[in-house]
Amino acid sequence: MNLLPESALDRLQEGCKIIGDRCSAMDISSWEVVATQSYGHQIDIEGGKISLAAGGGEGGFGIRVLEEGRFGFAYLVDVNSADTAIKSALSIARMSPAVNGFVLPSEQSAQPVSGLYDSSVVDMSSEDLLIQADDIISEVASLDDRAVVTGGGIGVSANASAIYSSEGVNAAGVTTSHGVGVQVSIEQSDQLTSSWQSTSSRSRISQANECVNRAVEWAKLTRNPIKVETPDDDSVVMMTSEGFSPLFSVVVPNAIRGEKLVREESFWSGHMGQNVIASDLSITDNARIPGGRSSGARDDEGVPTRENPLIDKGRLVASLWSTRDAAQQIAEGRIDAAKSTGSAIRSGHQSPPISGCSNLFLTSSQKGQSYEQMLELIEDGYIVNSVMGAHTANPTSGDFSVTTSSILRVEDGEIIGAVKQAGLSGNLAKAMKDGVLLGKEVRQQGSYSSGSMYLPNVLFKQGLRVNPV
Amino acid sequence: MVMTKSPDSVISGHNHKYLDVDKINKSLDKVTTDGAAYAEVRLVAYTDYSATIRDRKLERAIPGQEIGATIRVLADGAWGVHSTTDIASLEQQMGPTLKLAQSVAARRSSNDRPISLAEVPIIEDSLHWKPKKDVRNTDLADRLELMNLLSDSASGHENVVSVTCGWHDEHIHTEFLSSEGMNRTWSFQRSLINGMVTARDGSDVVSYRTRFGGEGGLELIESCDINQLGIDAKTSALRLLKAERAPSGKLPLIADRDLTGVYIHEALGHPCEADLVAAGDSCLDGKLGQKIGSDIVTVIDDPTIRGGYGSHPIDDEGLDTTEKLLIKNGVLTEYLNHRETAAHFDIKPNAGARAQDGLHHPLVRMSNTLIHGGTHTDLDELVEDLEYGVYACGSRGGQVDTGRGSFQFAAQEAWLIENGEITAPLKDVSVSGLTLQILNNVDGLTKESKLAAPGFCGKGQTVPVGDGGPIMRISEALVG
Repeated sequence: MNLLPESALDRLQEGCKIIGDRCSAMDISSWEVVATQSYGHQIDIEGGKISLAAGGGEGGFGIRVLEEGRFGFAYLVDVNSADTAIKSALSIARMSPAVNGFVLPSEQSAQPVSGLYDSSVVDMSSEDLLIQADDIISEVASLDDRAVVTGGGIGVSANASAIYSSEGVNAAGVTTSHGVGVQVSIEQSDQLTSSWQSTSSRSRISQANECVNRAVEWAKLTRNPIKVETPDDDSVVMMTSEGFSPLFSVVVPNAIRGEKLVREESFWSGHMGQNVIASDLSITDNARIPGGRSSGARDDEGVPTRENPLIDKGRLVASLWSTRDAAQQIAEGRIDAAKSTGSAIRSGHQSPPISGCSNLFLTSSQKGQSYEQMLELIEDGYIVNSVMGAHTANPTSGDFSVTTSSILRVEDGEIIGAVKQAGLSGNLAKAMKDGVLLGKEVRQQGSYSSGSMYLPNVLFKQGLRVNPV
Repeated sequence: MVMTKSPDSVISGHNHKYLDVDKINKSLDKVTTDGAAYAEVRLVAYTDYSATIRDRKLERAIPGQEIGATIRVLADGAWGVHSTTDIASLEQQMGPTLKLAQSVAARRSSNDRPISLAEVPIIEDSLHWKPKKDVRNTDLADRLELMNLLSDSASGHENVVSVTCGWHDEHIHTEFLSSEGMNRTWSFQRSLINGMVTARDGSDVVSYRTRFGGEGGLELIESCDINQLGIDAKTSALRLLKAERAPSGKLPLIADRDLTGVYIHEALGHPCEADLVAAGDSCLDGKLGQKIGSDIVTVIDDPTIRGGYGSHPIDDEGLDTTEKLLIKNGVLTEYLNHRETAAHFDIKPNAGARAQDGLHHPLVRMSNTLIHGGTHTDLDELVEDLEYGVYACGSRGGQVDTGRGSFQFAAQEAWLIENGEITAPLKDVSVSGLTLQILNNVDGLTKESKLAAPGFCGKGQTVPVGDGGPIMRISEALVG
């Protein structure tokens, strides 16, 4: 059975039009309706076997109405209850402060982004996923007969979305996704080690070997821990893309939002135009990457997306804005000029848009190093492949103090053994200011906040403290 | 397109039913005739309202209605699950969900133990935890008044650059029908207010979060001293501006009620979840009846505490909720379980099944997890014996690796303890350790145990939880 029901998108747009027409009938001149609908299959793996097969669909509509710079929002699942939701949104708008100059985005032509839809994903059945799950379980066992997939699974989805507004925006599309996640554990001689790895794509993942291999490799690498003394000072730490992305995603996307910067709620506030990280490093948000997890022709209020260089060779040059955030900060006098950067994001149909990142890239003007080259540069330090508690990092200050059980001790360029557990702390904003070396291989990672991250392995020469148990 | 076609789009009251009981029961009968050992339909309708103000200005208010239902079919010892917002399609989806279960079963090897369910009483009833003040009848203006009170009390200092306050309330209505004849309907409400104070001094920026809430309606928020909540948050944020980085290493630690709750939730609660134990992903596997903590440690998980953020009258398999005694005087006495894991371990079901909403299947989850009180009178008595250590307060969350039994949690603020006295304020304190070591290191608890600030727990699905206890002293923990 095809994952996506026939004419799903047409019916979603029809729902938007019905709600939009109701807004007009209620004399609301400025309104915007968004709709989302997802369909998916999922296989769960637990304790080395398939534990469950699931499927289904969910979705709904969000309505934003605007009256003299005041906006209100409501969401619903049933088009027939549109009038109630519209009235709720309108009553909220009338209690909201007016933002002078805030108008809903007008229609602008948007170029499509390729690689966001793969019909072979839509064609996948639960049976196809069961075969993939079996393959993963077998693959793990073949790589190490002690290794077991203790958790994880496979999922595919087709996600239809539409936006329709009084300002002429009328767009819709379907994206697909296919994801694999595996928690591999090795338990032997009263010692348990494990590793979680995942991968996702807009296209069909025919082989999850790299993800599975990494999970088994790290479950093996972290066995037989050695005793390590606590260093007195900062340590040299190579964070793999997987280990670094959770911290990066908690701290950086928040700091780079325009309204956070002008409200002085970012550690980079007041530094526009100044060097804020090492002079070879750049950070760019790009929603136009073909096949990107958070790519799209338009942002979540219908504005065409674009590539947004944010930090250029260490210098803070721009920030991310949605239409309302920009208008509000101008109206409240915190900034003279700002406009949408095509960076409005939503948590589905249930929330109005805010400013946020899409696909965030960390790059260097220096030549990227291989894993082996970076390892050779560590005389006395560590490699960290995952951290626990990244969500407890402080996005306002950049401070973090997390724990890792996936950490290797390195001396004179060689891995000498695993450390059972260690604390890892520092301030990410300060650690990125100097002595940072990037790997050459970039991997796409998920995010705690919004969007996705494209990150290489990162070698920090200063600013991080390791506290082995 | 899958969009709900419910009989009535507005959630109107306790007596309203979304499921056509006769039709669903017929489809449940049919699917069992066709080969299912068990089948159920669980529908959840939410009416919720969230709002945010920043510096007294309304940023957003979001009224919403959600409805979703999940079919679970157990056939040949395997589960098939279907979730949808299209309530009208439930009967049609029963057959395909049976086939899904049969497909999983067909792939199992002969060595795999088939899934079965523990026997439970079959109940037909309606149970509603009615609030004193139904939160659905609250105007936005009333919500704003309470949020403004929090904002005002947290503001008013040159270093406070912004105060953001949030509100969330929800009415949760659940209908449950099973092939065994279970027919239950229940409802309850949750309400929450929170605030975040951001303070700045030069290039130093800090933030402090505060939160109050639980099971109940508007009366719950009205029972809170919101003014004091705001003042405390502001004081803490300003103190953090002057705080030093914490010392690192193995140190004695005193945790306030919030952190004690997060600690016991992460370090013990998760490894006690029987689905993780059965999957080979818990350090407590095989340890029932064994001593795993010091004598003074007794831990319960209790969804029946009215007002707790994790409270609920009936679990998501239709069982009456009950208190679970997880540890008694240091001995592991009980896992949290659901029907599948109760059968797996041949133990009594204790109603630990929870799902995020109507679109998710139930997992074994905590509710309100607490350590019982001890014998120390107060914080001073816990501190006076310590030459050097850390007193940590307020939670920024935590995480656990249940298989290894290693955990981490972070404090919002902390103080140094020197020569029996609380001295310099500290920031960015996190604590990590191994469950089976740290439970043995608990050497002091104050007498009064109660729930702390409400929280959320993620395990693939997010559910509201309560946790807490007394003020707790740990003789040695890894502080970072």
